[in-house]
This record gives sequence, structure tokens and C-alpha cells, in this order.
Amino acid sequence: MKEIRRNLRIVGTLIVCLFLGLAAWYAATVYDQGSIWASNVYNQRLSRSNLRRGDILDRRGNILATTDEDGSRVYLSDADDRRALAHTVGDTAGMSGTGVENYYSATLLDVSTSLTDRLSELFSHSQRMGSSVQLTIDGPWTAYVSSIFPQGYNGAVCIMNYKTGEILVMVSKPDYDPYALANRAEEDVVDSAYINRCLQGQYAPGSVFKIVTCASALTYLDGIEQQTITCSSSWKYEGGSIVCGSGNITHGNINLKTALSKSCNVAFGKIAYQLGFDRLGATAENFGFNYNFQFDDLTLYNSSFPTKSGNMSDLVWAGIGQSTVTVSPMHMCMIASSVANGGIMMEPKLVKEIRTSLGVVTKSLSPAPFRRVMDASVADKIASYMYEAVKSGTATKAAIPGYTVCGKTGSAETSDNKSKATNAWYVGFLYDDNHPYCISVVIEEGGAGGNIAASLASKALAYCVR
Amino acid sequence: MAKTNISKMRRALMRSNTRLLLSAVMIFQAAALLLLALEDNPLDVQALVLAVAVPVATMLVSVVMAKIWPVDRAIVIMAMLLCSVGIITLQDIARSAVTPRNQAIYACAGIVAMFAGAAFIRWFTAWKKWTPWLMALCVLALLTPLVFRDNSKNAYNWIRIAGISIQPSEFIKPALILILASGLSNHPRFLKTLPTLGFAALCCGILLMEKDLGALLLYFLTTVLMFFVATSNWFLTLCGLGMGAGCAVIAYQMFGYVRERIAIWQNPWSDPLDVGYQVVQSLIAIGSGGLFGTGLGLGMPRNIPLYHSDFIFAAIAEEFGLIFSVGLLAVYVLLIMRGLIVSANARTSFHSLASFGLVAMIGLQTMLIVGGNTKLLPLTGVTLPLISSGGSSLVSTFLSMGILLGISSMNAQDEAKDIDRIELAEEVFS
Repeated sequence: MKEIRRNLRIVGTLIVCLFLGLAAWYAATVYDQGSIWASNVYNQRLSRSNLRRGDILDRRGNILATTDEDGSRVYLSDADDRRALAHTVGDTAGMSGTGVENYYSATLLDVSTSLTDRLSELFSHSQRMGSSVQLTIDGPWTAYVSSIFPQGYNGAVCIMNYKTGEILVMVSKPDYDPYALANRAEEDVVDSAYINRCLQGQYAPGSVFKIVTCASALTYLDGIEQQTITCSSSWKYEGGSIVCGSGNITHGNINLKTALSKSCNVAFGKIAYQLGFDRLGATAENFGFNYNFQFDDLTLYNSSFPTKSGNMSDLVWAGIGQSTVTVSPMHMCMIASSVANGGIMMEPKLVKEIRTSLGVVTKSLSPAPFRRVMDASVADKIASYMYEAVKSGTATKAAIPGYTVCGKTGSAETSDNKSKATNAWYVGFLYDDNHPYCISVVIEEGGAGGNIAASLASKALAYCVR
Repeated sequence: MAKTNISKMRRALMRSNTRLLLSAVMIFQAAALLLLALEDNPLDVQALVLAVAVPVATMLVSVVMAKIWPVDRAIVIMAMLLCSVGIITLQDIARSAVTPRNQAIYACAGIVAMFAGAAFIRWFTAWKKWTPWLMALCVLALLTPLVFRDNSKNAYNWIRIAGISIQPSEFIKPALILILASGLSNHPRFLKTLPTLGFAALCCGILLMEKDLGALLLYFLTTVLMFFVATSNWFLTLCGLGMGAGCAVIAYQMFGYVRERIAIWQNPWSDPLDVGYQVVQSLIAIGSGGLFGTGLGLGMPRNIPLYHSDFIFAAIAEEFGLIFSVGLLAVYVLLIMRGLIVSANARTSFHSLASFGLVAMIGLQTMLIVGGNTKLLPLTGVTLPLISSGGSSLVSTFLSMGILLGISSMNAQDEAKDIDRIELAEEVFS
């Protein structure tokens, strides 16, 4: 009996301690995260409560989403505009997980976590109104870009200000109507329409990745600019071969500048080989590959670069953005921005201002550099190569009369099946202090980037500077 | 002599005065139910009746029970408090008035079961003789759902008799504990405990077939804890726990529904509209309640699926708030501590183990379901003891409480006898 009593004491103490732990954990998480849970869009209580969701505005002050008298959410009246902004703004059901309605739910409802606020809430029963969120997005531009996106294709377009990091346009196709939401589990969601491809799309970059390889070469390989590289349309390395075009393009003896502007696969395969995994991987990681992007205003899916692989084929193909390299259109836009911005990559910003219902500004735009990704001299050289690409290289269709345009095209293979069209890529920017815009375009199965993607970028940027 | 005996028994028992506790509980019950009655327009008659009946029943049960046997009244009052919290919550949130009415009827049945349990354990002295019969009965009862499956429920652990759905696994809980207590009492050697442990393993196997994971986990953990308390064999206890963990891994590999539960637990927000729906809605309800809750009758806990049974804790947290729900956990802790005292004071190892097992079962069950509601643990479909709607669980838990109370009354009488003996000795030797 004595022994049993001793054991009882041990186990009894254990059970009571477990209970105390449970209660402490429960209280701490509810206190810490309760308001986040409660402000979730899946909370049906909110639509009927005395909380009124704040407005969402674009950078010009156009209202993108508001709450009407009987508490239901109102979006843009024009169906095309509404669809164009759907991924950015979001919807009441939280279908677009990255949308502002979802990501900024707590702000739009102004649910506060502090104890004093909760106490005062308890004693006031007036209808409370949440904060309004003004975005850096330009509504009309977004609607225009969405309207010129080639019919029948999927893909994404991002435009950002490379000096401040403000995101001006995000278009993801296919789009959806926040007024006509399908059940996410159902089959009729065509090509994962609820995914914002700008932030969540993971694409092989193809030749647009050559910007990174070029930066690595200029950083690590002395005299690479003067070096002559020979392209005889294909190159056999130990274990495989790499070709330009479908093996029918011969660039001859070229330098780095021509290699980038003409997008020579053989030259960049050789450069990647010269660099090796360590140096190319270091540059890629410095550009943000394999980094966990958690910015203030948005979350970006990670881009990946195969630093761990020791395979020669992986190295050569990674140098031209194939192999297992993946990137999101927004990250590619940031990479091009860093070239335009003298080697400093800016943090992407989506929110211009947050204002409470009483007009107090609680958050305003403050541009912040993400990090310096290359020397200013390296960035300037790459910019001049990209200028050459638009002037006389692969990206001539991106030119805008009267403006200095720099760009890089890409045609990324998505499968070994040669009959399947490549993903068309274009990244580029305007060298113009009044219009510091950088664009990235990806059109799934759009063929060669020099055609469909470059001309879309040219039309879009021409509209922005008009 | 008889009169002084009773007064001494009281002295032994009533180390604390329960009158204050009883009045506080009755005021809470009457106030909450009156509020619910007046909230409706016209007056909600059922709530009004309950507002009178529940406090009166609480008082009567605690007084009458203490009159018959010198039981620990604090346990009676706390059990009645928890039961009334269930009735109040259901009266408030259930879609139809039938659910709280049924709950009240079940509670009456439960009170009868509590008296029966107390009487039974006081009578049940020849436990060794009865154990094999009890075992056979348990296995038969556990197997019934496989034969007479209740097709109206989406699980395999229910049977339907005369229009009432019954969950046999609930009623086996007290029986299992008595069997274990009997098999493990009086310091048996390991080999002698094997039939008992084998029986527990058999029960667990049947429950696995019926996909009743919650009950399975409870049976297993209670068995291990009781084994440890009885034998103080650290090695075998840890082996048992390790074996359980191994089985859990195998179950994870083998059964899709186990994997799904774990995946939902890890990130319910990844699919908040489909598989993660229950947990997400539970968390949203808890978060909406905040510190002080939305107030009785002002919340919308019906948005949570199974708000009346598995997720009643989330519903209570929404309406009564964080502070009250932590307080509710404190009531469970006090009940458990009180039960552990009964167990420590018991005169035989059988009674000590039995009362410990009952308390441990209730404690583990509370932790499992509260942890499931708050995403600390994967969700297992067990009830919140004495609160969740459902007759089987309520009656079975009251029965367990009755057994615990019966043991506490035996302790008090034994203590009174001790005091008598001491006084007698003092008289003789002075």
C-alpha cells in the first residue's frame, strides 16, 4: 500500500502538471493568436457582426473593395477589371490565399490583440469599422495589362518600381470572379485559377536566368568580358551536350555581351562549367534563390537552385536556367530590378498606406533594400548587355520608341517532349528616372520569349509611360 | 455510541465545509438558466423549469447522498456543476429544445447510476470471483457493434436497442478499470498480471477494428498508468509505452484515417473548407470568444460542426470566454485531485487502484478532447466528461463517479473506526 501511495503521488503529480501545461498552452495561444483566428475569412460570424471590413484602395485612391450598408462586400462593377484584380484583392471566401482580403484580414477588421482594447471593446457596442488598406497597385494599369494578355494562354505579369520596390501590376491568368466562386475542391476550377501565379508560380526560368549566370561570371571570372567564346551551335561536355536553338543556330566567336544579347546557350553552358557549382550557387543564393521569402507585405514562394548536386549536366543546364532551377515571376522581376537599381534588390512592397476609420495612418510605405546582390559596376555592365538585346538581340520586340529599354528573353523547356511549346519569358526595365518600371512576363506554352512575351511587355510599359 | 460514531464520521469526512461551494454552484446554475429563459420572447418555459430543477437537483443529490453514506461531497458538487454546464450550454446553443431536455433526462439516469455505482462498490467485496465473468461480459458488449451495427451513425461503435443508440465502449470503461484493479491488486508477479493485460489488449484490438481511436487511446493509457501504480515497475511501464508508440506508428502506416487525422492536426489551415473544417471552425470560435466570451446566448457556436459533442469545449470557450474555460479546466483538476486523495486513503489496493483508474481515465479523456479542440493534439472523438451531449457517456461517467464516491465513503467509515479505536485505547490506558 505504501508503494502504491508513492506511485499515486508520482502519477497524480504528472496528471496535474499535464493539466496545468494544457491550460497554460491553451491560454497563451488564444491570447496570442485568438484574434488572428477570429479575423479569418472563414469566420462566418464576421459578416453578421457589428464589425465592418475596411476598404481596399489602389494607389490612385480608386476603391477596389468596400462594404455596403447591409454589410456585404462590394468589388469593382466592371467584370473584366474585377477579374484582373481578383488575385491581388482576394475574395470573401479566402480562395486566393495570398489576396489582401485574406492576408490583411486582421487589419481590415482592425482586430486588436491588446488587452486594453479588448476591454474597451467589451463596453462599447457601436458599429466598429476596420482600417482601410491602400495598395501600391495601379488599378487601371492592371486592368489594361490583363486585357492585352494573349487570349487562351495562362501565365503572369508583374510590374514594379525598381527604385522603391512598389508593386504596380500583378496579373495572373487564368483569373476568377470574386462574385462567382466555385467550390475549390470541384473540378471546374480551370488550371488552378485561384493561385496567384506572380507570387506562387514556380517556373523554370530558362534564358532569363542568364542574368544571374552573367553576374556570377562578371564577379568571379577576371577578364571574362575580353574572353572569346566559341559557339558552334552545340557543345559536348562529359556526359551530355547543349545546343543553341534546335541545333541550327551558330553564334561563332562571341564575347560575353553578345552571348547575353543573343542568348547563346553554348556560351553560358561553358561559363557555368567554368564557374562551377560553388560560385554559381553562391551568386544564385545571393540573388535570393533557396531563401525563405517572408516580406512585410507579402509571402513569396521560394525559388530554388540545385546547389547540392554534383552532376555536370545539372551544372551546365542550371547555367541557362533549366535543370531543377525554379523561380516565381515576382522574384524574376526583383532580379531584373536589381540590375536596373545598381545592384541593390529592393524588398517588394504591396501596401502604400493603412489608415484607421478615424483617419490615423498606422502604416505607410517605407522602401527598404532586401540586400545588395552584385556590385554596381556588374549591374551596369549587365544593363548595357540587356540594352543591346533589345537593340539588336533577341528582345527587339520589347523596344519602345523614345525610351531606353533593357530586356532579356527566355524560352524555358518544361518537358523533354520537344513538340510541347516552351514557356515564353521576358524580363526588362525602362532606364528612365521618371518611369523606373521593371517588368516580368511569363506565358505558359507561349513559345519563344522574343515574340509573344517581349511584345506584351512593350505594349504594357508603353501604356504605363503614356 | 451510535450517535457519537456518526458525528466522528462527519468530522473525519468534513475537513472542509462544502456549504459555500454548494451555494455558489446553485447560484451559477439558476442565474445562467434564468438568463436563457428570459432571453427568449415569449419566455422559454423549458429553461425556466430547468432554472429551478437543476439547482434543486444539485442540492438534493449532495444532501441525500451524504445522508446515506459519508461520501466526499465536494466530488458530488463538482460533478453536478460540470453536468449543469453541459445542460446550460446545450439549452443555449442546440438547434432544438429536445437536445437539452434529453441531456437533463440522461443526467437523471446518470444520478441514479451514481447511487447504484456507490452501492455496488460497497457491496462488491468478492471481486476476485467475479472478474472472469465481468471480462466475458465486456468482450461480448464490445463486440456487439460489429454485429448489431447502428446504421444511422457514421461509426462502428454504436448499437441500437429499443430506439436508443448506445455506445458500449463507454460502459466498458468503469468495468475495465474494476477488472484491471482486481487483476493488479495485492502486488501480483508479472506473470499473474498477464491475463488481465491480455484482456485490456483484446479490448484495444476490438476498438481498433471499430475505428474508435479515442476510446482506444484512453483504454491503453489508463492500463499503462494503472500497471505502473500497482507494480512500480518502471521498465515494463516504459516498454508498454514504447509498444504503444510502435503500434501507433504501424497504425499510421496502415490506416488512411489515422494519417488523415495527423495531417489535419499538423495544418488544418491548408484545407480550411474541407478536411480541416472542424478544427479551423473550432479555433475560429475560440478566437471569436476572446477573453470574456461573447456572452451566453450571443455567440454563434453552431458554425462549429459537432458543437454539441466533440467540440463543446470550443462552444463554451466562445460563449463564456477564455477565463471561464480555463476555470472549467481547473474544476476538472480539482475533481482529479480530490479523487487522488480518495485513492490514497483507500484501505485495500483494489479500491486504491480502482479509484485511481477512474480518475486517470477522466483526466486523460478531458486532456485528449480539450487538446483536440485547441489543436494541441490530433483530434480524437471522445466526449468532454459530464458536459458533452450524449447519454452513454454521461451515464457511464456518473457511474464512475458513483464508484469513486462509494470508495470515499468506505474510507471515511474506516477513518471513523480508527478514531474510535484510538479513543478507546486512550480510555483504556488512561
